[in-house]
Amino acid sequence: MSKKTLNRVLAAGALAATVGAGLTVATPATATASPVTLTIWTFGDVIEPAMLRAYKVIHPEVTIVLKKADLDPSMTNLTTACSAWVSSHRVGNPPDIAAVEVSYSGYWRAYPQCFTDLRTLNTSSANANAQSAVASSSNIAAGLSATDIKNNYLAWRWEQGVGYNDNVIGIPTDVGGLEVAYRTDLFKKAGLPTDRNKVSALWPTWDKFIAVGKQYMAKLTPAQKKSGMGFIDNVGTIYAASMNQGTYKYYQNNGTDAGKLVYKVQGKAPVYDPKTKKQKVDAKGKPVFTNGWVLNPNITKAWDYTIAANDAGIGTRIGQYTSDWNVGMTKGTFATILAPAWMMDYIKGQAPTTSGKWDIASLPGGGGNQGGTQLTIPAWSAAPNKQAAWDFINWYLAPQQQLTVFKTYGLFPSTKSIYSDPSLANFKDPFFNNAPVGSIYLTGIQKLQPIFEGKLERAIDTAIGAGLGRVASKKMTSLQSQIQVLSDLDKITTN
Amino acid sequence: MANVVANRDRRRKAPVSPWKPKKKPSKPDGTIRSLNGKWGYLFVAPFVVMFLIFGLAPVAFSTKLAFYTYDPLSLKQTFVGLGNFVKLLHDDRFWIALGNTFEIWALSTFPQMIMAIGFAAILRNRFLRGKTFWRTILLVPNITSVIAVAIIFGQLFGRDFGLINDVIGFFGGKHIDFVENSFASHVAVATMITWRWVGYNSLIFLASMLAIPDDLYESASLDGAGAWKQFRYVTLPGLKNTITFVLIVGTIGGLQVFAEPLTLAGTTDGGDTHQLSTLTMFLYDQTFVNGKWGYGAAIGIMITIIVLIISLINFFVTRLVASEDK
Repeated sequence: MSKKTLNRVLAAGALAATVGAGLTVATPATATASPVTLTIWTFGDVIEPAMLRAYKVIHPEVTIVLKKADLDPSMTNLTTACSAWVSSHRVGNPPDIAAVEVSYSGYWRAYPQCFTDLRTLNTSSANANAQSAVASSSNIAAGLSATDIKNNYLAWRWEQGVGYNDNVIGIPTDVGGLEVAYRTDLFKKAGLPTDRNKVSALWPTWDKFIAVGKQYMAKLTPAQKKSGMGFIDNVGTIYAASMNQGTYKYYQNNGTDAGKLVYKVQGKAPVYDPKTKKQKVDAKGKPVFTNGWVLNPNITKAWDYTIAANDAGIGTRIGQYTSDWNVGMTKGTFATILAPAWMMDYIKGQAPTTSGKWDIASLPGGGGNQGGTQLTIPAWSAAPNKQAAWDFINWYLAPQQQLTVFKTYGLFPSTKSIYSDPSLANFKDPFFNNAPVGSIYLTGIQKLQPIFEGKLERAIDTAIGAGLGRVASKKMTSLQSQIQVLSDLDKITTN
Repeated sequence: MANVVANRDRRRKAPVSPWKPKKKPSKPDGTIRSLNGKWGYLFVAPFVVMFLIFGLAPVAFSTKLAFYTYDPLSLKQTFVGLGNFVKLLHDDRFWIALGNTFEIWALSTFPQMIMAIGFAAILRNRFLRGKTFWRTILLVPNITSVIAVAIIFGQLFGRDFGLINDVIGFFGGKHIDFVENSFASHVAVATMITWRWVGYNSLIFLASMLAIPDDLYESASLDGAGAWKQFRYVTLPGLKNTITFVLIVGTIGGLQVFAEPLTLAGTTDGGDTHQLSTLTMFLYDQTFVNGKWGYGAAIGIMITIIVLIISLINFFVTRLVASEDK
């Protein structure tokens, strides 16, 4: 940002603050607060605009500038910004708040020096006074540090925002509980039950889920199949869903900060036959094994489910978050999506005409989790901005506001203190055929086991995703691709 | 003839301009020439300072980095000697990226050159109406944002609903996956590059063609050469140096292809089999996504070495072409 624009932004902020102060003379706290501009780096729909408008009412002196990017580039930007900070220690560069997605939380936990230790910040009294002016929002007491609000949040979610040196670097926004969103109208046409309990009973396991998919595909006309219709939008999503149901992924907690890399284990490895590009078989047709490195059992299991679903042909070839996906959602190209709570809002936004046709059933294989974010305050933010940022985070992620966000946008609260709130458990969404989405997602979330996330989580996920893609596009056989994945992961995890 | 000689003599005897000093001043002061020694450095200083800060310093730093493993967030660095380079030469992804880069380069440069010369030949036509208009629209693709080009072409090349596949499907052909299929994806990227640069190169060729004297064409047509023979034996030899120039610039640009394949692939690793990964994308992916800054620096050095080799080849080829002219 050029200096000129910066000045203009500051001037605009000052003007807004003056106008705001003029309107709220009765609240001395806002009248005395000095104007501040908070820059937030975010992605997706982590920060909801309607909530920002509400915050503007109680904090007219705070101007919030949202900078949105795609997830991976936004994390690259943060790395660059932090490398500038650690080498120069220049205070005052943006952002003042950075959203960090959980697939990157392992990475950032290794670099607590990039963030403000949130145990050292205390909410201001201005914040407390201002909030009492608005009845609908909860009152945030003055003097709260991260230690004071810790118990509001799910313990394992909280840990994802704690640095390896025990600094608290991020406060969790939401839990990405994972369930299955399905189209009742399409299920009915295929002769499948439409009631959410009966649908959930259809697929206690992933194998059953794939079987139901085959059943659905069998009912499609050849023309429908040719037009690319399928049971699930993308079989690749099964991998992540199944992975998150285990107790570990690529790292295991061994007491050290970094954890132990366990993506491969010594065991019976299939012998690769370059002629058939598959596993070697002996004269009697029995597959040949040898001792060697193989992908760990959790990866193998999730991989096999995904490949089985791919081979069964139950998925469309549409990638998530593409324009084809949005079109397919409206046209009914696919009947199911593995939907984290935060995706409900996306579906509503992209396919408004399908209102009432969707419903939510539980995820095969038990509870699921996908996504979630922490809000952090980078170490290089200026002191007044850090204060304003901490006040904002405390308000935005307080149980009351998270409940509002859930009801409006579907992001499931990370604050366990409101899980018993009847307005959460009884919350029904008409878009999803009045499914009690509150209690459905809550049940799944409570089944979850905490997973230790390591530094290279995202890079490993990407490499395995590419491996599954190679099989799906028939460029490699499953075994061939697995061998490639092993060597790719070795490269990623060594310097 | 006599007149001409007389004229020449008259010119030589032209009166001395009153503004011209009679004698050269012994000390050069007050003229622009005197600034050369003292003040010249001041005038070049802005460039030199900027170059030192933004040009030389990063080059020096990354050269050093190439021999280290480096973590920019903890500032931890370990000397590994030539380790990064040894690893690079054993990394199949490097060779894939190198192959992709040259394939895309070849697919974009040669058809582009032929098209550009063709366009220039058309524009050179004396009877063409609205010359300026045609020259202007040829340059429009070049001033369009790369990302916009990549997005539009990405939609044209779409697997399911792309326009090109619609046409193929209309004629009963099988849809081509312009992202997954390695060769098809290179064709797609090359098309974007060609579309963007063909107009620019046409104008360069046009300028060069206009410099070829008309009497050459006149005498060629008197000798009975048709349009094609004129082009083959008059135009093309005249373009020799320009072709070399366009080739060099195109090669340097070709080694830096980044935005087009990145947008088409959607991921920095260039797809499942890295089919769209170019050298610069590989550098970016290793450095900023996988966090291997030392390794990334080594890739950068390697690209520099490749550019040097190609420049040397170009240099010798240019000399060869120039000596043929004598």
